[in-house]
Amino acid sequence: MSTSITFNLDGKTVTAESGETIWQVAKREGTTIPHLCHKDTGGYRSDGNCRACMVEIDGERTLAASCVRTAAEGMVVKTESARAKTARKMVMEMLVTDQPERDRAHDKGSHLWDMADQQGVATSRFPKKEEDRVPLLDASHLAMSVNLDACIQCGLCVRACREVQVNDVIGMSGRGLDAKITFDFDDPMGASSCVACGECVQACPTGALMPAAALDTAGVGDSKDFDREVTSVCPYCGVGCQLSFKIKDDKIAWVDGVDGPANENRLCVKGRFGFDYITHPHRLTKPLIRRDDAPAKGLNVDPANPFTHFREATWEEALDVASKGLAKLRSETGTFVAGLGSAKCSNEEAYLFQKLIRQGFGHNNVDHCTRLCHASSVAALLENVGSAAVTATFNEIENADVAIVIGANPTENHPVAATYFKQFAKRGGKLIVMDPRGQGLKRHAKHMLQFRPGTDVAMLNAIMNVIVEERLYDEQYIAGFTENWEAMKAHLAGFTPEKMSPLCGIDAEVLRAVARDFAGAKAAMIFWGMGVSQHIHGTDNSRCLISLALMTGQVGRPGSGLHPLRGQNNVQGASDAGLVPMFLPDYQSVQDDGVRSAFTSVWGSDDFSNQKGLTVVEMMDAIHADKIKGMYILGENPAMSDPDVEHAREALAHLEHLVVQDIFLTETANFADVILPSAAWPEKTGTVTNTNRQVQMGRPAVASPGEAKEDWWITVQLAKHLGLNWDYSHPREIFDEMKINMKSLNNITWDRLEVAAVTYPSLSAEDPGQPIVFGDGFPRAEGRARFTPANVTAPAETPDAEFPFILMTGRQLEHWHTGSMTRRASVLDWAEPEANASLHPKTLRKLGVESGGMISIATRRGAINIMARSDRAVSEDMVFLPFAYVEAAANILTNPQLDPYGKIPEFKFSACRVSAAKADHATAAE
Amino acid sequence: MNIETSKPGIWKSGKGKGRATPKGRQYDDAALAQVRGLLGDGETRRDLLIEYLHLIQDKYGCLSASHLCALAEVMRLSQAEIYEVATFYAHFDVVKEGEASPPDLTIRVCDSLSCELAGAQQLLAALKDDLDPAKVRVLRAPCMGRCDTAPVLEIGHNHIDFATPELVDKAIAAGDTHAHVPAYEAFSAYKAAGGYSELEALRGGSATPDQIQDKILASGLRGLGGAGFPSGRKWSFVRAEKGPRYLAVNGDEGEPGTFKDRYYLERTPHVFLEGMLIAAWAVEAEKCFIYMRDEYPAVLQILADEIKALEDAGLVKAGYIDLRRGAGAYICGEESAMIESIEGKRGLPRHRPPFVAQVGIFNRPTLVHNVETLYWVSKICREGPEILSGTELNGRKGLRSYSVSGRVKNPGVHLLPAGSTITDIIAACGGMTEGHTFKAYQPGGPSAGLLPASMNDIPMDFDTLQKHGTFIGSAAIVILSDKDSAKQAALNMLRFFEDESCGQCTPCRVGCGKAVQLMEQDTWDTDLLEELCGVMVDASICGLGQAAPNPIRMTIKHFPEEV
Repeated sequence: MSTSITFNLDGKTVTAESGETIWQVAKREGTTIPHLCHKDTGGYRSDGNCRACMVEIDGERTLAASCVRTAAEGMVVKTESARAKTARKMVMEMLVTDQPERDRAHDKGSHLWDMADQQGVATSRFPKKEEDRVPLLDASHLAMSVNLDACIQCGLCVRACREVQVNDVIGMSGRGLDAKITFDFDDPMGASSCVACGECVQACPTGALMPAAALDTAGVGDSKDFDREVTSVCPYCGVGCQLSFKIKDDKIAWVDGVDGPANENRLCVKGRFGFDYITHPHRLTKPLIRRDDAPAKGLNVDPANPFTHFREATWEEALDVASKGLAKLRSETGTFVAGLGSAKCSNEEAYLFQKLIRQGFGHNNVDHCTRLCHASSVAALLENVGSAAVTATFNEIENADVAIVIGANPTENHPVAATYFKQFAKRGGKLIVMDPRGQGLKRHAKHMLQFRPGTDVAMLNAIMNVIVEERLYDEQYIAGFTENWEAMKAHLAGFTPEKMSPLCGIDAEVLRAVARDFAGAKAAMIFWGMGVSQHIHGTDNSRCLISLALMTGQVGRPGSGLHPLRGQNNVQGASDAGLVPMFLPDYQSVQDDGVRSAFTSVWGSDDFSNQKGLTVVEMMDAIHADKIKGMYILGENPAMSDPDVEHAREALAHLEHLVVQDIFLTETANFADVILPSAAWPEKTGTVTNTNRQVQMGRPAVASPGEAKEDWWITVQLAKHLGLNWDYSHPREIFDEMKINMKSLNNITWDRLEVAAVTYPSLSAEDPGQPIVFGDGFPRAEGRARFTPANVTAPAETPDAEFPFILMTGRQLEHWHTGSMTRRASVLDWAEPEANASLHPKTLRKLGVESGGMISIATRRGAINIMARSDRAVSEDMVFLPFAYVEAAANILTNPQLDPYGKIPEFKFSACRVSAAKADHATAAE
Repeated sequence: MNIETSKPGIWKSGKGKGRATPKGRQYDDAALAQVRGLLGDGETRRDLLIEYLHLIQDKYGCLSASHLCALAEVMRLSQAEIYEVATFYAHFDVVKEGEASPPDLTIRVCDSLSCELAGAQQLLAALKDDLDPAKVRVLRAPCMGRCDTAPVLEIGHNHIDFATPELVDKAIAAGDTHAHVPAYEAFSAYKAAGGYSELEALRGGSATPDQIQDKILASGLRGLGGAGFPSGRKWSFVRAEKGPRYLAVNGDEGEPGTFKDRYYLERTPHVFLEGMLIAAWAVEAEKCFIYMRDEYPAVLQILADEIKALEDAGLVKAGYIDLRRGAGAYICGEESAMIESIEGKRGLPRHRPPFVAQVGIFNRPTLVHNVETLYWVSKICREGPEILSGTELNGRKGLRSYSVSGRVKNPGVHLLPAGSTITDIIAACGGMTEGHTFKAYQPGGPSAGLLPASMNDIPMDFDTLQKHGTFIGSAAIVILSDKDSAKQAALNMLRFFEDESCGQCTPCRVGCGKAVQLMEQDTWDTDLLEELCGVMVDASICGLGQAAPNPIRMTIKHFPEEV
């Protein structure tokens, strides 16, 4: 479409694409025109306000800002005319006038000073601004320092906050010389609605916004003052943001976002400011062995001083004790050992872990936290689409005109993905949010369906009923690519909006409007999260979403697709690598003899069990039943994350032998017999696969403390002690072995990943990978996806007179899962320091509790005391409870009932009772 | 049930440190109910943000943080989006938690050039001395468009001409704080005299838009807001763009010294309204926006009433004319800044290209006209192009409504041939004020700077002043005498620009501020000022920054002995 333009630039004939700016063309031609408010990275609209990039265009009365002026045919542009140079230089001089002295600058290495140097501007002839007009410094935020004495009103931070991250906290208020950037209503940054994504800090060209960690006590700093940088991947969520560790004195000094395929330079608070956990004094630095005189196992070890229960040991002794305990159980008749691997470690480590259990113990008792997050989604996807991964990257929303986000709270849990969703809505895309909570995307949604918890199937079936009744479905697509449509149609007939409306609490007309909007889309995507999956009907919920996409033909094209937002940084990769009890790598069934032999031939070992192993929650039950006696747990924390967690803790205490491998003495490690100290993610090499199927390279930024070792190394040593003939010396060797039986990794090599991320499937050695799959059929019989009708199932536990509230658990922006990392990261702990439960202000009033007061929450499993947060996002009969807080562990309360297909517990629905905490409880909690 | 919280394994407790609410300010139910009460139940519109802010400010005397927070909730906007708009405009008083609300009564004293010549600073000082700040707030303010009755102030919304502390006391005592609507020609009288017959005939097909456009071109009508762009050609640009198209009337007559639009609106509003509807017919505008400055409360009242009369008479559909109220920002007289303001945002001028004729309100092609321009459209359609083109003087065709103030006997709007010289204009005003000798004049608002009395033979029209480094603009003429200082006048003008700069671009934001600082010195650093002026002209985004140096340059050039 774009046409080529020819024009004259500094006497030379140049060509430009339509829409290209003079600045861009000049840069390509080798001239970097000075610039301040224009950011030379993707994602930022040029604003042309600073006037540092002025050029002269023949025939025009005034100069033009080259960053916003697009090239036009026949234009004659002079970047080096005396007029242009004078103007640019004086603009710099004006701005330098009111900057803090350079040797006391907040950022001595700022872009502003670079530009001043480039033009030889060091001083100013103008009088300085009156002191009472210079805004005061704002040190209210722990992570970021606001130094508006250096602000040049370029508005990059405003664009960062409003257009790139769409957090909408920063504004340019006032006008004229007194225009200034403000947070909310000119509130201190730390008291504002700022979510600390730090995009503004990364964008600021002057040091007016700086990472607090980069400043000394006098507020002086230098963004160029680091020794080296390492590009890696964020260890937190499944978005898989690429980042750059800036390292000074062998410590991570600060972090910047870089241009990864999923994040395009963006980060969130965790990925930018959440790394000092790796230097927390609680880091495990030596192997530990439970003391002979230790008290009985329980949640009773202080991670700051484990020596009441443990003694330090050499690696050799620890591996010996760890392996012997497991080997002893292996020698008994039965399958008494189980392993929990980690979605936080690399693909290679996940692969080795499942291999250790299968090869080393001959069975499939291996699982990981996918069981607690998307197991039901995976079950439904495998059943109906034939593949467990997303059909399109979340970034494809760029090409969509309608999108559903259901049961996901991406502004907190996938913050960088959420930026793309908010941008989509800002562009005019129809965003349909379905969530019992009035979550962060609500403000951006065209339709906000705050439905009654647990009624997903009723609501989705009603929407599909409308699509059938009004014949809005895509007949051609259905005929070409699906099966079981007639049965689906017949099934849906009973789910009219009028019938379902009282169940789900959404007006019939709204359900119709949503159906029409979705079915009328040119390209539509569906995103979902734990709100869909963590139910006893989680698989049915996902089946509905799959059916909705299939009947409207919204799979396999740009801007269309199904995207369960994966939680952990490597939950996709760990699942792909076979860290589940029913599948070997690439979802190949353990029950298939050919599959097993393909692996054992590579492993050079005997066949192993053809029986599916135990899942996470089943393992805990099996311990109580004495069917599991020993476990190897790597980087998982079931003593916090399992439903009915007291039951899980009792199980862990009951184990004969528990080996825990982690970076901290987690709640689970409290129950260990041997603790093996691991390297943290910024200390390791390995690949990870994000929610987009993008395989990316993690690189070590700093050395591990003490004797902590990379997880793959520890697993290899343990395997050797268990008599396995393993000799890996580098993760790339593991990766090469994985590729033998994983078609998904075809064309993806370690060397390629060293250079750039690759999305699987990659069709050739050059193909960066396919963001969209299944345009030409599905990996099922005849290439057809299936409609599986779903019925309404009530939650396992419904509110009653004794337990009248609905309890829903989840996460908060700053805290990762069980909090072992994030509660030890200073900024994250500062931002969200205390266990809290969200209730509607009216509910609190009825309970006679002030916001911030203590309440007791009880279910049939247990009770906790916790601070009440007044939050209108939850309905009046609901309690939202994050599960990161050990002092008020949400999972003491949750119901361990499982979805029959995905075996995922119903974390999103328990019946509970709430009351003001009794004074003695409150005191006890001090 | 036993709740254990003190086991050694419970290694962390942030008790007492957590937030009782989600991040940031939370709205309160009472404020939410009040805001909903003001806005009504329907869907809110983003472009009406400034109107909503007026509703709150009018009702509660200020914009409290709690109301703004509730407004953000109702409009589904972020707090930042509300705050930055509320703080951009001078007529909104944002009051944060713990801050005192402004007193019930506010007096704004105009300190622009004509009023300053008439003693505005002394008046301001006297009022501040006399009045109890707990009861009455006295503020300085830019031009109120009543320069012929200087000094002027606004008490509440009541403008007091030839203001004195005594008149203020009287008004306060009488509770006389509302706008006084003057007698004017209302709809029925205008209609009875043949008004709107031309519009109805055109709508009925009496002529084509092309024919009317040609008529406008033949009259020589040019944009009377100050830019002087031939009106007929503007129509053709807008008509060349694909619809839907809009029409916007720039009623933000803020150039100090200008009051001609108010003059016509307070007398014959329907001549203007018919002209607007003819122009809207010609470009097939979906809707007409009238952006009227908040300094003209009487005009706002007149327009609201007369638009209602047009709707009642069936001449326009309800809502076709959308009257918008400015909120105290000179920059919104810049057409693209006005469009931003109509969209409910801060009034920041846009980059050109694209021009508003191509990309205007809501990114649609927009015909923007000044009030007086449309007044003449009406006249031309009814009386023929000769009404303008038939007058010729000093080689210039047409008529010009000069707003004259300063040291003349009869200041006011004087409709004279466009070729009139300053000598002719002073003569039309009955000569200089007693005891004053003509020294200098501002030919077209502060943006035009100052010319010396010696340059008295230049036709005061478009195109004729350019070679002297200035322009006619909106024909806001202020006459200075031997009693006045050119240097002080220039400083007054630059202070105005500093106050009214939107702050978007460096040359204007910083440049105006630095210029004022340099001009406050006893002796000007003329070399540095000249260099600064060059860059402001060359590198500012809009006309404000580009023209702001004129008073400096012309003072240096024509009154070197003063600086």
